Amino acid sequence: MTAGRRTSGVGAVASALAILAAAGVFAVLVGSVPLSFEALRRGDPVARAILALRLPRVALAAGTGAALAIAGAALQALLKNPLADPFLLGTSGGAAAGAALAIFFGASAIASPAGAFVGAGVATAAVLLLAMRSGRIDLQRLLLAGVTANAFFSAVILLLFSSSAGGRSRSMLFWMMGSLADARGPEAGALALYLAAGGGLLLATAPALNLFLVGEESAASLGVSVERTKAVVFAAAALLAGAATAFVGIVGFVGMIAPHLARLAWGNDQRRLLPCSAAVGAALVVLADALSRFLLAPAEIPIGAVTALVGVPFFLVALRKVS
Amino acid sequence: MNAGLSAAALRAGYGREIALDGVDFAIGPGRVAAVAGENGSGKSTLLKAIAGVVPRREGEVRLGGESLRGWPRRRIARAIAYAAQSAELIFPITVHDLVLQGRAPWRSGFLWESGEDLAIAEDAMRACDVLDLADRDATRLSGGERRRAFLARLLAQRAEVWLLDEPTADLDPRHRLEFLEVLRQAHARLRPVVLWATHDVNEALAIADDLLLLRRGRLVAAGPVEEALAPDTLEKTFSIRATVERDAAGRPRVTFSR
Repeated sequence: MTAGRRTSGVGAVASALAILAAAGVFAVLVGSVPLSFEALRRGDPVARAILALRLPRVALAAGTGAALAIAGAALQALLKNPLADPFLLGTSGGAAAGAALAIFFGASAIASPAGAFVGAGVATAAVLLLAMRSGRIDLQRLLLAGVTANAFFSAVILLLFSSSAGGRSRSMLFWMMGSLADARGPEAGALALYLAAGGGLLLATAPALNLFLVGEESAASLGVSVERTKAVVFAAAALLAGAATAFVGIVGFVGMIAPHLARLAWGNDQRRLLPCSAAVGAALVVLADALSRFLLAPAEIPIGAVTALVGVPFFLVALRKVS
Repeated sequence: MNAGLSAAALRAGYGREIALDGVDFAIGPGRVAAVAGENGSGKSTLLKAIAGVVPRREGEVRLGGESLRGWPRRRIARAIAYAAQSAELIFPITVHDLVLQGRAPWRSGFLWESGEDLAIAEDAMRACDVLDLADRDATRLSGGERRRAFLARLLAQRAEVWLLDEPTADLDPRHRLEFLEVLRQAHARLRPVVLWATHDVNEALAIADDLLLLRRGRLVAAGPVEEALAPDTLEKTFSIRATVERDAAGRPRVTFSR
C-alpha cells in the first residue's frame, strides 16, 4: 500500500507534466503563422526563426503559470481557503505600482521589472506587518490587509496613469493587463531560477501543509512549527507572484483555478498537489497565450484579459460550491 | 512503561489576557483525569498549554519528571496528543488520510508513509470502529463518526498523554456512550495519561480517576476523585449548589440545584 501511494504520487506528477508537454507543443505550432513538424525537420529557415521566437514565449508563459499556481495551491492549504490566490498578499498591486512608478520616472524596459520586484516586496512586507498580532500572523487580518493593499496600489497606479503621457501610460497598461509579447530567452531563464527557488521552498513545506488542512492548532499539536511554516510559505509565494508579475504583468485567476483543477484530478495531498498544480498552471497560461495569439490574429489579446475571461465564470462556480 | 504528567506554576494566555494563572497538579501513569469548570474557566487553555499549542508563559510541564522546556515541537507531538474541541474541515479528506496525520510526528521530511505507519493507522481505525469508513470523506461524516475518526488519529499518534477537549460535547446519548466505550477500551490497552476537559462532570466521572476543578484560570481542587469531589469544591467551581450521591456501583454522581 505504501508502494501504491508513492507510485500514484509519481504517476500524478507524470500525467500533469504530459498535459503540460502537449500544451507546449500545441502552442509552439499555432499562431498567426502556423508551424509544422515537417518544415522544422527540413530545416526551413523561416520555421526555425518562428521557433526561436515562440520557444521563449511558451517557456515564459509556462514559468508564469507554474509560479502563480504553486503559490496559490500552497496559500489555499495554509489559509484553509479554496478561493485564496497568490495576489491576496497585495503582491500584484504592489508589483504593478512599482513598475508604474519606475516608468513614470523614465525607467527603461529593462529597469521596470526591478521596480515591480521592489513594489511586490514592499507590498508583501506591509501586508504581513498589518496582519501581525502579538508576534503571530493572524490569517483573518491578512486577508483584509491584502485587499486593502491592492486597493491602495490600484489608486496609485490610476494616479500615475492619469498624469503620464501616451507612451508611458501604454507601458503601464502592460503591467496591469499582462503581456507575453516581448518574451525573450533571458527573461524565461531568470523566471525559471525564481521558480526553482520559490517552488523548492514550497515543496519542502508540503507535508506540513497537509496538516494545516485541519487547522493551525491541529498542525501545531502534530509537531509543525506553525509560525515558521507560515513565514516560509508567505515569503515563497510573494517571491513567485512578484517574479511572475515583474516579467509578465498581472495574470489573474490562474493561481486560484489551477490548484482547483489539479485537486479534482489528483486529490488534495499537498506533496502531489503542489507539483501537479504547477504543471496545470503552466499548461493553462501556455494555452491562454496560444488563444490570445490565435483568436484575433494578427492582433493579440493581452494574456491577463484571456485568463480573466476564462477565470471569472470558473470563480463564480467555485464560489457557489464553497458557500 | 508510560510516564506520569505534572505541571508547576503553569501560566498561559492569549495576547495580554491570562487564561491560566499558576496551576499545579500531578497525574500518575495511566490515570484518567477529568478537567471540569465553567465556560471560560481555562480548561481548553490548560490542555493547549500542555500540548504547547498555546505558548507557556511561566512554569513548566513535566513528563515522567522531565521538563518539556526546550523540547522541539515534533518531540512534544510524539509524547502528547491533543484533540481539539472542534475541527472545521473545509477541504475533503478521507478518514484514512486523516488518521494517517497522527503518524506525522514520527515521519521525517517528505517521506511517504511506511508500512508500519499504515499498520498503526489501520489498527487505530479498527479500535475506533471507523475502518469501514476509511475511504469516506471526513467532511461528510456524522458528528459521532467524526469524533471517532479524530480519536483514531489520536490513537495513531501513539503518545503517552492524551488531551481531549470536550470530546462528546456535540453527541447524542447513544453516540456519547459509544465514544466512551471506545475510549475506555483503547485506554485499557495503551494505558496513557488522559486529561478530559468537560463541563459535564458526571460524564467524566464515569471514567475518571482524578479530578481537576478550575475556576477563572486557577485550580479549586486537584486529586483523586474521592478527595477532590466534595460539595464545597463543586459549589466554588460552578457557583451553584451541589450534592454528591453514589449509585449502586459506588460511582459518585453530582446533582446541581439553585
